[in-house]
Amino acid sequence: MIKKIAILSAAVFTALALYACAPGEHTSDFFAMDTYMSVKTYGVDAAETVKGEAERLESLFSVTDDVSEIGILNANGRVEASDETIELIERALYISGMTDGALDITVYPAVRAWGFTTGEYAVPSPEKIEELRSLIDCTKVTVDGNTVSVPDGYMVDLGAVAKGYLGDRVRDILKNAGITSAIADLGGSIVTVGGKPDGSPWRVAIRDPNGDGSVGVIEVKDKCVVTSGGYERYFTDENGVKRWHIIDPATAEPADAGLLSATVVGEDGVLCDGLSTALFVMGAEKAEAMWRKEGGFEMILVTKTGDVLVTDGIIDSFSLSEGSPYELKVIG
Amino acid sequence: MIKTRTWIVIIAAIAVAAAGAILLIRFFGAPGTTAEIVKGGEVLYTIDLDRVSEEYEIEIGSGDGDRNVVTVKPGMICVSSADCPEQICVNTGWASKDRPYPIVCMPHDLVIRIVGAGGEADAEAE
Amino acid sequence: MAKRIVTDAVLAAVALVLFVVEAQIPPAVPIPCVKLGLANIVTVWALMRIGAPDALGISLVRIALGSLFTGTLPSFIFSLSGGLLAFVAILLLKKLLRENQIFVAGVLGAIFHNAGQLIAAAIMYGTASVFVWSPVLILSGIVTGLFTGLVAQLLAKKIPKTIGQRKN
Repeated sequence: MIKKIAILSAAVFTALALYACAPGEHTSDFFAMDTYMSVKTYGVDAAETVKGEAERLESLFSVTDDVSEIGILNANGRVEASDETIELIERALYISGMTDGALDITVYPAVRAWGFTTGEYAVPSPEKIEELRSLIDCTKVTVDGNTVSVPDGYMVDLGAVAKGYLGDRVRDILKNAGITSAIADLGGSIVTVGGKPDGSPWRVAIRDPNGDGSVGVIEVKDKCVVTSGGYERYFTDENGVKRWHIIDPATAEPADAGLLSATVVGEDGVLCDGLSTALFVMGAEKAEAMWRKEGGFEMILVTKTGDVLVTDGIIDSFSLSEGSPYELKVIG
Repeated sequence: MIKTRTWIVIIAAIAVAAAGAILLIRFFGAPGTTAEIVKGGEVLYTIDLDRVSEEYEIEIGSGDGDRNVVTVKPGMICVSSADCPEQICVNTGWASKDRPYPIVCMPHDLVIRIVGAGGEADAEAE
Repeated sequence: MAKRIVTDAVLAAVALVLFVVEAQIPPAVPIPCVKLGLANIVTVWALMRIGAPDALGISLVRIALGSLFTGTLPSFIFSLSGGLLAFVAILLLKKLLRENQIFVAGVLGAIFHNAGQLIAAAIMYGTASVFVWSPVLILSGIVTGLFTGLVAQLLAKKIPKTIGQRKN
């Protein structure tokens, strides 16, 4: 009898281990595109497909991979690229024009010189910065059919839009698989399909650039939420100034337009991803002006002065964190 | 005096009830906040953050330039120091029940993820 | 009297050694507080064979010194609350148990030991969420308690009655 009880207990423990996940929910995580991704779907498990797609796009867009299309372009100054790479470059150039050059896919030499690709951070000399500035101008990127070419010394990096593109692809893949409820965290860029299984919206927290918590939570359905900020990849220079990885194309130095983070909420992943970087570079005033002029997206800006600026299209879905030191202001 | 067999039956009944309760909690209840430390795709540690009684550190890595020091406190976990170049894992700060978002150290292929937590949101944009 | 103190001290030392040795073994199940609790063998045996005051003394000495050797303040508080609750539970049940039912005391002791720790944890962290673990700890208490209880029962059978027996 005692033996039986012991065996029964052991069996119960084993059975419990098998119930690690709630029924119907599939979660998987993996590394791709130099970042950590996790996908949660309900109903159908599409993790493998998503991972495969991320790896496929990485083999096209990776700036650190010598044999990716972008790698070849940077090494040779020209490349015969796939339709997808062409599409993404053209869309990035369009966003660049829309933001008056605040997004620029040719800032890579500067990113590298400041050490953000290796972690060996250093402030380049004024002469070096001058030289770097002359290497940043994405209007010099020419696309002719499927041929892309750049002038000598120029380098293209699609990092500011690649995760957004993946987000759009992931959403298409999931929807085609018949999934109506999913959330994917693509290295901090959030893509949602539908709402939660119970029909309520997904809740996405916006990281507090000043601390561990979050600024607030935005409720979304079928939207992308992408944040750019200077709080993750940065170093402090000898004057005690934080230097972060988002480079202002106009100065070849880390952008400093009074923002700590810029979040874009919208349906188009590439636009959200590219704009979040551009808005961070532009600062609140220019960002607001562009939002009025262009539309098609909503934004949450966290300023150095402690304000959280939220556009009126999402103000009802946004809630400031409890006890937040930030002041909520509406742009509308 | 109570028969030995009766005692065994009582104990067995309690065991079955407890097992049933475990299954019920698994299916319907909120489990504790558990952190998994994953390196190279392999789960090295599973820590129930709700049942951490005191602060302690775990050193992760083979000592070959891939060192992460993980600090565990009641309810929270973070990477307190690391010898990776960019220090993103350290800058990410604490993960907890209210902030159940992964801490990642790409160069060391290390992820600390929170499982079974409700939290105020489903994901974090960063 | 002197013999009694010596007996209790030896038993406390045995419990302490078991406790320290067990602390060196990595836990088999990755759930905190699920451990065999070898030191409880001594407590159960002493409570059933010698008497409540002696068992309590042995247990307290073991907890205090054990925490001093291996633990910290929180682990001392956990040990203490678990140990005391287990002690009280076995004491209340003692009259119902025969010589060959000591294993029941082991089970009961283990369950209440875990319960005491949970209560302490809930108070210390100010959260009731730790009670989610109670079914797991009850189940593990039954398994580990059966083991320690059966060992205590075996010892009670093998160790001559004269040891630990008091004349008064």
